[in-house]
Amino acid sequence: MTRVATSKLRVYPALAGLGLVGALALGRPELAALAAPFAVLVGVGLAFSRRPELKLHVELDRERQLEGRPVSLELELVAGTPVSRLELLLKFPEGLVTGEPFPRVLHLYSGERRELHVPIRCVHWGTYEVGEALWRARDGFGLLVFEGSVGESRWLKVYPSGEALTRLLQPLETQVFSGNQVARHRGEGIEFADLRPFTTGDRVRRVNWRATARRGVPWVNEAHPERNNDVVLFLDTFAEARRGDTGTLDLGVRAAASFATHFLKEKDRVGLVSFGGVLNWLTATSGTTQLYRIVDSLLDAEIMLSYAWKDLDVIPTRTLPPRALVIALSPLLDERTVGALLDLRARGFDLAVIELSPLPFVGEGTSETERLAYRLWLLRRDALRTRYASLGVPIVEWREGVPLDAMVEEVRAFRRHARVVRV
Amino acid sequence: MQDIHLRWLALAVGALAMSLLAVGLAARSGPVLGWGLAALGGEYGVLFAAEGRALDELTPVYAGAFVLVAELAFWSIERRVPAWSEPTLVERRLARLAATCIGAAGVAALVIVVSAASGGGGIALEAIGVVAAIGALALVAVLVQRSAAEVDSSP
Repeated sequence: MTRVATSKLRVYPALAGLGLVGALALGRPELAALAAPFAVLVGVGLAFSRRPELKLHVELDRERQLEGRPVSLELELVAGTPVSRLELLLKFPEGLVTGEPFPRVLHLYSGERRELHVPIRCVHWGTYEVGEALWRARDGFGLLVFEGSVGESRWLKVYPSGEALTRLLQPLETQVFSGNQVARHRGEGIEFADLRPFTTGDRVRRVNWRATARRGVPWVNEAHPERNNDVVLFLDTFAEARRGDTGTLDLGVRAAASFATHFLKEKDRVGLVSFGGVLNWLTATSGTTQLYRIVDSLLDAEIMLSYAWKDLDVIPTRTLPPRALVIALSPLLDERTVGALLDLRARGFDLAVIELSPLPFVGEGTSETERLAYRLWLLRRDALRTRYASLGVPIVEWREGVPLDAMVEEVRAFRRHARVVRV
Repeated sequence: MQDIHLRWLALAVGALAMSLLAVGLAARSGPVLGWGLAALGGEYGVLFAAEGRALDELTPVYAGAFVLVAELAFWSIERRVPAWSEPTLVERRLARLAATCIGAAGVAALVIVVSAASGGGGIALEAIGVVAAIGALALVAVLVQRSAAEVDSSP
């Protein structure tokens, strides 16, 4: 807490002094009568001024919320001493907004408890600290100003809002555990695959009686088993394009949260690799706990400037299971990510790239040279996309405002018409 | 003649006081306001010199008004931010201001009554007055010094 004297505290004693000296010099008690109230005011004001004793109890109605949803903050301000004029400012980080007016100016009696209800809207995903307030108080005579901070921090996690996906990307190969995806190979399952002659060990319930009656020997049904998938979400955090409040990283985080939610709902195993200045990873597992782990990890995603060269070797091998579908979310601005993705394809991973388009965040430029550089940059990006496509990697450009479903359909259409070359 | 010159001097000092107050308000400067208030008090002193030795019975009223001008001037230059404030805050402050002005008039009246009762004083009484003035100023200086800007490590 700081305590500062106002200019009144310097001027009033000077006026009192001048008045008293003038009264003595001129022999006029009237000047002393004019000066005395200022001296009395300063003496009484300082004698009665007390440091404000404030306590602020903070309660959030929830610790986690989705983007765009409201949260309620309950504050209880307790004054241990009377405060004639208290200015209270609640600190809100960027990403949280409130319609309540702040700062507020209050008068508090000694021992008074004041309750404030503050509705907050979570505008942007992230982890926020709320509850700390700055205050400024004046004593009753305006001679001293006290300033300080009060309150207890409370953490609020705002999760990225996901998009609804009607269909998911299917990996080329499934895994060995039971799941919701129909596998290509044959085994025990529900989806009919083929007929074959009965062999020792086949169960009687699998006998196809019509085929058996037609052919005179037992024939059995074969099915496609239901298996799960391994999916790795590869988020590029080397660089982003940003304008104002939004950028390519926001698109990537929201897309990753959507994919994680939907794949985990299908009993698939989902992992996360945040490939950038700071490397973060989560090995692929399933379940609701994994969803919370992934989303909490996404909240920590941020662009960290780094010049260190990184490639796939820095990623632990368990993080990229064999035959996993790798969905890369990247603006393709950094050479390290471009190289890592090509390396992934070369190692035989089933890769799909969703390019988080930086074009809405980049201006064309004003001068002829800038416009020429912009066109060259666009051509380079086209060449990069062609290179990925020639390797059999589906790559789609995604801009804000376009549904993620449309991107998934584009990838599915690419896979239908392209032949995957096993390298 | 001297009386007329002093009255013109009082007028000039008064005009200076008004100018300094206006500049202090416009520039939000406490020291300039202080000089303006000092000039206002100086104008009063010059008028006494022009009017002779009779005790001015309206001094308590002038003291109350002087404090009112000072308080309103410093209220005007207080640092403020756009904020929502309780409706009763202004009423409370005005009430406190009124009480302060009445209190100032009372203190001034007390000083006038005491000086009228002492009837002229003499050297001993003047010496006591000087000591009292110095003591009062010293006390206030000590209190101001103790209340100078502090940064407290406690919340």
